[in-house]
Amino acid sequence: MEQKKREKNYMEGRLPSSAPLANPYVPFQVEFTPNYEPRKALVRGTLFPGLELPFMGMINKNELPVTPLTELQALGFMIQELALYLDTHRDDMEALELYRSYQRMHKEGLEKYEKMCGPISHKSVSDGPYRWLDDPWPWEYAKNREV
Amino acid sequence: MFEYNKKLQYPVKIDRPNPRLASVIISQYGGPDGELGASLRYLSQRYSMPFDELKGLLTDIGVEELNHLEMVGAIIHQLTRNLKDSQIQDSAFAPYFVDHTTGVYPQFASGTPWTAATMQVKGDPITDLSEDLAAEQKARTTYDNILRLSDDPDVNNVIKFLREREIVHFQRFGEAIQLLREKLNQKNVYYMNPAFDL
Repeated sequence: MEQKKREKNYMEGRLPSSAPLANPYVPFQVEFTPNYEPRKALVRGTLFPGLELPFMGMINKNELPVTPLTELQALGFMIQELALYLDTHRDDMEALELYRSYQRMHKEGLEKYEKMCGPISHKSVSDGPYRWLDDPWPWEYAKNREV
Repeated sequence: MFEYNKKLQYPVKIDRPNPRLASVIISQYGGPDGELGASLRYLSQRYSMPFDELKGLLTDIGVEELNHLEMVGAIIHQLTRNLKDSQIQDSAFAPYFVDHTTGVYPQFASGTPWTAATMQVKGDPITDLSEDLAAEQKARTTYDNILRLSDDPDVNNVIKFLREREIVHFQRFGEAIQLLREKLNQKNVYYMNPAFDL
C-alpha cells in the first residue's frame, strides 16, 4: 500500500491552487526522487522515472559499452538533466548538491578521457603534436567504435 | 559564446546503411518540427524573455537541441555510408541523392528546404512558451512516426532517447509558464506584454 502511494506521487505533479481561465497548465514536478543512476538515465533519456513515457512500450534497455566516452556522456547527461530541473526548481538543495557532485565527477571523467583519446575542445591543455585533428570525429562510424 | 565539444550527447553507432530510412529521418534535421528549427526557435526567443529562469531554460534547451541536430546528422551520415548502386536507385532515396549525393542537407522528408516559416519568435513570453509546448509535442509525434517506420535497433535506441527528451522539455516549458504566471497580474495575465511593457 505504501509502495503504491509512492509510485503515484512521483508520476504526478502539482497543479496551482488557483487556476484562472484561459491559461495553459502543466503540473509542476514536486518529487525529485526516485531518480536513475547516470548510465541508466542516459539510456532512458531522463533522470526521472516519472517523466519516462515510452511509445508503445518501447523502453530503451540497451547496454552501452563501458568506455571513457560513455562514462563522460553519462555524467554530462546528469548535469544537463539536473540543470533543466534546477532552471525551474532553483531552491531544491538536494538537486543542487547532486548537480555539483556530478560536476566534480565529470571533471575527473574528462581528464581520463582526454588522456586516452585526445582533446575534446580547444581549451584542453596538452603537450606534443597538434592532436585536435586526430580521430575520433564523433559522427563517424567505424573509427569511434573502440572509444 | 558557443564552442565545440568533440563528442555526441548520446552515442550513434549504426551498423547497417539504410538510405530509405535516412530519407525520412532527415525531417528531424531540417523538417518542419526538426532539431534545427527547435534550436533556432529557443535560442532566438531568449532575447525577449524578461525573467532569469526563462533566459536560462531557453538557453539550456536551445543548446541541447543543437546537440540533437548533430546526433540526427550523424544518423543520416551513418545510414548513407558505402551505398550499393541498388541502394541509390531506391525510389525513396534517389531524389535526395541527385540533389545532395550523401551530404547532410536540412530539408523536410518531403523535400522542401528548411524554412524559418516553421517557427515563430513572437516577443511575448506566454505566447512563445506556448509555441514551445506545441513544438515539443510535434517533435515527439515525428519521432513516434519514425519508430513506426524503422526496425533497426541501432537507429531506434537513439530515436527513443531523442523522443524522451521532447517529453522532458515539455515538462520544463510547462513549469516555466507557471513561474512566469506567478510574476504577472493574477487577475489578468494578459493585461500587458511583460517583454515589452515592463
